[in-house]
Amino acid sequence: MKELTITSDAPGERIFVLGNEAIARGAIEAGVQVAAAYPGTPSSEILETLAGVAKELEMYVEWSVNEKVAFEVALAASICGVRAMASMKHVGVNVAHDSLITANYIGAKGGLVLLSADDPWAWSSQNEQDNRYIALQAYMPVLEPSSVQEAKDMMADAFKLSEQFRQLFMLRSVTRIGHARSDIVLGKISREKRKGKFVKNRDWLVYTPREARINKPLMLERFDAIKKAVNTLPYNQLKLVRGAKLGVIGCGLSYSYTLEALKWLGIEDKVSILKIGTPHPLPEELVIKLLKSVKEVLVTEEIDPFVELHVKAIAGEHNIAVKIHGKDLLPRVGELSTRKVTEAVIKLTGAKSPVDFARLDKLAEETTPLLPWRPPALCPGCSHRASFYAIKTASKRVARDYGQDVEAIYPGDIGCYALAYNPPLEAVDTTICMGGSFGIANGLSHVVDAPIVAHLGDSTFFHAGIPPLINAVYNKANITMVILDNSATAMTGFQPHPGTGHTAMGEETVQLKPEDIARACGVKFVEVIDPFDLKAAAKTIEAAIRFDGPAVVVSRRLCTMIDQREKRKRKEPIIPYFVDQDKCSGKCNACIELLGCPAIIKEDGKTIIDQALCTGCGICAQVCPYKAIIEVSQ
Amino acid sequence: MTKEFNVLITGVGGQGVILISELLGEAAVKDQLKVRGSEILGMAVRGGSVTSAIRLGEDVYGPLIPTSKCSALVGMEPSEALRNITCLSKSSLVILNTAVTVPFTVPLGQSSYPSLEAILEKLNKAAERVIQLDAAKLAQEAGSLLTTNITMLGALFGTGRLPIKVSTIKEAIEERFPAKLAPVNMKAFDLGYESCRRALK
Ligand SMILES: Cc1ncc(C[n+]2csc(CCOP(=O)(O)OP(=O)(O)O)c2C)c(N)n1
Ligand code: SF4
Ligand code: SF4
Repeated sequence: MKELTITSDAPGERIFVLGNEAIARGAIEAGVQVAAAYPGTPSSEILETLAGVAKELEMYVEWSVNEKVAFEVALAASICGVRAMASMKHVGVNVAHDSLITANYIGAKGGLVLLSADDPWAWSSQNEQDNRYIALQAYMPVLEPSSVQEAKDMMADAFKLSEQFRQLFMLRSVTRIGHARSDIVLGKISREKRKGKFVKNRDWLVYTPREARINKPLMLERFDAIKKAVNTLPYNQLKLVRGAKLGVIGCGLSYSYTLEALKWLGIEDKVSILKIGTPHPLPEELVIKLLKSVKEVLVTEEIDPFVELHVKAIAGEHNIAVKIHGKDLLPRVGELSTRKVTEAVIKLTGAKSPVDFARLDKLAEETTPLLPWRPPALCPGCSHRASFYAIKTASKRVARDYGQDVEAIYPGDIGCYALAYNPPLEAVDTTICMGGSFGIANGLSHVVDAPIVAHLGDSTFFHAGIPPLINAVYNKANITMVILDNSATAMTGFQPHPGTGHTAMGEETVQLKPEDIARACGVKFVEVIDPFDLKAAAKTIEAAIRFDGPAVVVSRRLCTMIDQREKRKRKEPIIPYFVDQDKCSGKCNACIELLGCPAIIKEDGKTIIDQALCTGCGICAQVCPYKAIIEVSQ
Repeated sequence: MTKEFNVLITGVGGQGVILISELLGEAAVKDQLKVRGSEILGMAVRGGSVTSAIRLGEDVYGPLIPTSKCSALVGMEPSEALRNITCLSKSSLVILNTAVTVPFTVPLGQSSYPSLEAILEKLNKAAERVIQLDAAKLAQEAGSLLTTNITMLGALFGTGRLPIKVSTIKEAIEERFPAKLAPVNMKAFDLGYESCRRALK
């Protein structure tokens, strides 16, 4: 048998995939021709999967510089009649927001789908915003899958629905969909290839107040049509149980938790269930039927009470006397689970608990103090560790001149380097959003008297770091901006970006250099350093901080993960360091306390270097006051 | 109808936790089983805690194993197995690699690592049985330290409780690795398998 892959046109066959691969497969089945994205957990594998098969399927796939551009690339394709999508993590939609709102006035010609990957419990994010509220504001219909299979099916259908109703659709994924694994049944792949055609149409595409006023009513009409249609979409399903007192409305993945909870309690035949696959707009007719048939309703959904509020509004409007529960019994913070839904249902029905949850909670409480703290850490040999050591050394020297108690401030950003907020580096004072480091630094410079040394990565610089850099020049902010250039978008899986010289589809392209951009923007102090030369690096950063006016330092070293991978491929030796026990004082711990490299460990009171982990970066040898750390070859 | 069977694999970034679940999932599909699962990637991979769930059975819907419903816990690292103790019940098996990975916060004096005895005592109390394994030693015996996770997978099958056939998981291993590496991994699987059989005797 030929092995099945993500591009096999084998309807009815089953394959085992990651949720994000299933979403990509849905788009492939729909014959998507343009896909654009900016990386972000838990969404990145969607575009990676598409990029891997783009040539084979003759589609255009790009990593855009940021989510706004990605969305605009897809929108343009749709305007020209071509099926297109943009995928991003939840906070990416904030970046695309400006285009998004007016785009909904335009609607869609070629099917257009925005994939928003929400992250309940903020596993890999700076917040846990619920993007259904953005969809609400934009009049954008939302599909929310209950399983990986449904995510694939919905993605394929979303393009058709988008064309049928001439409106763009959001598919709301969550971490436990995108990073879930499941078997899925494949559907047929559309082989239709359309040629894009731009038809000039001022009334539709040129937004001045006049066109806003023309198109908003048209958008509302389209939305009303969708509102009617969702009552009969297969993604919404009502199962009424005769005589049931309780009805549960399960939205998206929460529907799966609900099914399991009711089975666990053995009451699946006693409760009515409304499965919601379109939280926006809700299938009102189905909701009304359920509300009229029961005494109490529980809404299960992840993050904020979105469906709950709308269900309450429907009950109010139709004068239905029914008690509606949701976030009064379920948390607004974090993911739902079978257990959480089970406990909520127990509260409403008095059903017998299948396990002694209190005993398990006590067990967890007793166990927690025994557990070691295992935060993620910068990899052994990570160039960021060296950069931070240099930044801190330089900043401390300058801060002294500001006064005795003055400490430098380190506005930080989002990337692997955010891990430096952990001890021992503790070199991050703020992390808010991509590009936020330079923006916050601008503001700080006008209100505090201390060295301000902001940092962000190269991918982040291209994404959102350039406007605040220009702002610093324009508004004369006296700050130091360090660009941690590791030639990758490392945190999210090493995706290429404008500084890497190649594209998502593996083509070579121009390689932009942050230092050229900084100079072109009028920064007068621009230097490039190698962070592994700690002394020289600290010296240059010190000069940058002392410089009167905005200064830029590009700290350049390939991400060690990539470097090691390439070295192994080239069969180049990796020469680790070791601690000469005769020279090591055994007590000073400088290497551990200053750097926190996971390769440096303590064994029976001795400081040693784990030879399997050490990458040979050599920075510990530079900080050891006893010169006890040496290269293995010496 | 296959009875629900839930496997939780726990460990530290870099230990190959995800590969175990991928192989389990691929084999399950070959055996016509329904599979659900999920894992935490992203922030967790840089040396942090990693967990991955694989769930088999017709009545399984969600991607997460409900509290106390784990059938077999594959612990690649003792303290990480302990971290997930509430997934266990008196009918769960624990397959534990006894090799410890100390996080960097311990030499920094910011947390401490419990004794192996303390961990075993807790797990033994919570589970039906704990099967201990020196997985790294077995992997080395097989020919490569990189097969540590595959020895654990072998031990999981050694319990004889999985609804997946041994021949099917071997097929999945064979397909996953290039021809050169398949024999080493197969040997690692067998060593783990046998070691678990012996422990259960
Ligand atoms: C608006 C937005 N998009 C995407 C992300 C996801 N994300 C987190 S870090 C990061 C980029 C990291 O790249 P870089 O700045 O080069 O740092 P590195 O990880 O390589 O050190 C991304 C894309 C995000 N947090 N916010
Ligand atoms: S992946 Fe690269 S940038 Fe990220 S911590 Fe590891 S070495 Fe550093
Ligand atoms: S040389 Fe030192 S700092 Fe660099 S990876 Fe090895 S142990 Fe860590």
